[in-house]
Amino acid sequence: MPHTMLETRNLVKRYDGFTAVDDLSFEVYQGDIFGLLGPNGAGKTTAIRTIMDIFKPDEGTISVLGHPPGVVRSRIGYLPEERGLYQDQKVLDVLIYLAELKGVSRATAREQSLLWLERLELSDWAQKKVRDLSRGMQQKLQFVASVVHDPQLLILDEPFQGLDPINVDLLKGMIRALQAHGKTVVLSAHQMNLVEALCDRILLIDDGKSVLYGDLEEIKRKHAPGTVRLRTSDTLGELPGVARIEQRDDTFTLTLEGISPQDLLKELVRRDISVETFEVASAPLEDIFIAVVKERDHA
Amino acid sequence: MRKVFIVARHEYLVNVRRVGFIVMTALVPLLGAAGLFVAAFFGGQAASFLASTFVPEEGNIGIVDELGAFTPILPEYEELIHLYPNEEQGRAAVRSEEMASLLIVPEDYIDTGKVTIITREGGFSAAILEDSDTVQAFFVDHLLQDEVDPEVRRRVAHPIEPVLVSLEAEAEPEGGELSIILNLIVPYFLGILLVMTIFVTSGYLLQGVAKEKTSRVMEIILSSVTARELLAGKVLGLGALGLTQIVIWLGSSVALSGGSAGLLGIALPFMVRPQVLVLGVVYYILGFLVYAVLMGGVGALGTTQQESQQLAGIFSLMAAIPLMLGGFMFTNPNMAFVRVLSWFPLTAPTMMLLRLPMAEVPLVDVVGSIAMLLVAIPIILWAGSKIFRMGLLMYGKRPSLRQVLRALRQA
Repeated sequence: MPHTMLETRNLVKRYDGFTAVDDLSFEVYQGDIFGLLGPNGAGKTTAIRTIMDIFKPDEGTISVLGHPPGVVRSRIGYLPEERGLYQDQKVLDVLIYLAELKGVSRATAREQSLLWLERLELSDWAQKKVRDLSRGMQQKLQFVASVVHDPQLLILDEPFQGLDPINVDLLKGMIRALQAHGKTVVLSAHQMNLVEALCDRILLIDDGKSVLYGDLEEIKRKHAPGTVRLRTSDTLGELPGVARIEQRDDTFTLTLEGISPQDLLKELVRRDISVETFEVASAPLEDIFIAVVKERDHA
Repeated sequence: MRKVFIVARHEYLVNVRRVGFIVMTALVPLLGAAGLFVAAFFGGQAASFLASTFVPEEGNIGIVDELGAFTPILPEYEELIHLYPNEEQGRAAVRSEEMASLLIVPEDYIDTGKVTIITREGGFSAAILEDSDTVQAFFVDHLLQDEVDPEVRRRVAHPIEPVLVSLEAEAEPEGGELSIILNLIVPYFLGILLVMTIFVTSGYLLQGVAKEKTSRVMEIILSSVTARELLAGKVLGLGALGLTQIVIWLGSSVALSGGSAGLLGIALPFMVRPQVLVLGVVYYILGFLVYAVLMGGVGALGTTQQESQQLAGIFSLMAAIPLMLGGFMFTNPNMAFVRVLSWFPLTAPTMMLLRLPMAEVPLVDVVGSIAMLLVAIPIILWAGSKIFRMGLLMYGKRPSLRQVLRALRQA
């Protein structure tokens, strides 16, 4: 059983009669990248804020590194959605201050700040004021502020918001590197395609309620209708277990029913059809989400 | 505690380098110097103007002598006091501004002591006349002119030239009158200093909180420290900042006044009764803390700095109330209302600073007010940090009273 870093049970948070988070239960395991996904206004930020002890939950329990929220602040890194830094202070000073508040000694804080600035190519800006930095640079600086004290659990609320594609890749690389160093990362995003490739496990929420939860691969396997994409110049005849074939030039999209992609491939080989490409298509998470939400609304 | 210190140091160091702080700190000594310069030129004229405005002249006095003891008037009073045969003529002289006032001494004066004083303006100048040394000497001299020596008459007119000695101060030979004055002035001064510190520091606290709100750095900070640690750190750091400013202002005023005030400052601790000084410092510190904590919480409520300032102003006023009551307190430093204000934590610091030197304050009031403050500060810090936290996270809108109450309940 993997070690649980974060756990919520039956979490409920209401504002003036409006239920922002409705009965959420989930666990985050050590070393995972956990995606908290959902459209805008789904309740991701509210859930994160209760975990961070900024809001008190109305119902339910939360355990962060084995403690109630707010107990082990120094081992958690947090990038809030509502973010900013002291604009009229120097980059390095701000980082050192924030690290010191996490209990890091001044000397270590300085050392780590400089190291992280170098990693994110911001070394030249250490002595500049925060307001002199471009938007993208400030975003990166925000990220540094959340990791500079070497936290075990990193909670990133919409970390890719407002970043250009180059910086999205840079940040993804950083998050993967942190995972490689044994850190646990929880990140929220409303653009699911951005984080799909990054996450090990996810919780997909809508209107404050859990829609999909668990291992991402498993979810995909369960929800993706068996679809195979293949390219061939030969003609495909009737195939067993294939419900539908769509053709576009030499690319065929086959919807499978009662046959695994593996068996289909064997059948194609047996029939001596020259396959140029064969690809098991899994539906993007966004499609699964839409399908599940539609299904739920019809029920 | 370590985090409180880190916040305090950060707030102090960041703000002490701020242009606004440096300008404000430098401005007061510069204005003082300018004021001194102007005063040197116009000082004489101003003084005589003030004297003519506020010190009423006695003017000529008419008297109607129905008793017969004042006729004729002794030569040394002839210039100032004139006899009138009856009330009508005397009244006419006052009306025509020939005389400033008219005294009517009735036949039964010796039994009743009643003297009718008629003036044009009424009450105030009549009261001054009654107290006037000249008029008193005039009565004594005429009533006793045949019976008593002039020296004795002069003594009867001014029976007491006070030489004040308090038993505690007697041991210190250099004390005396100056010590008694200082015993009054120092706490009053501390009271004013307290009110000043509160105004200055609450200004910084409000600014600091508004900045935290606009820069949206709040959530990051609150993920590292509790709202209480943050508020306490801000109070200490910005309090130290306010104190720095006031010390610089005081220092510069000492320098500008040519060192005499400086000497006074050095002498103060030796001349003041030690318990007054010690308690004064205790009340000063407690008073500062109670207000700073309150201001931090209140500051987070407003959406803009102006709005926060208005809210804070209401509370600042409370600190100043006892200063406004100063006059009443001189006559009765232990009256019930004063005692009530001494126990109420928001007025207690200034009230007690003023009360201590005026009279022996009942021990129960001293202990009680300090106890109330010691209880109130953590409670206000607790409630303040709840409001502070809620207020800071609500960008662009002011929380309603209901939300404030709910935030307090959710503790």
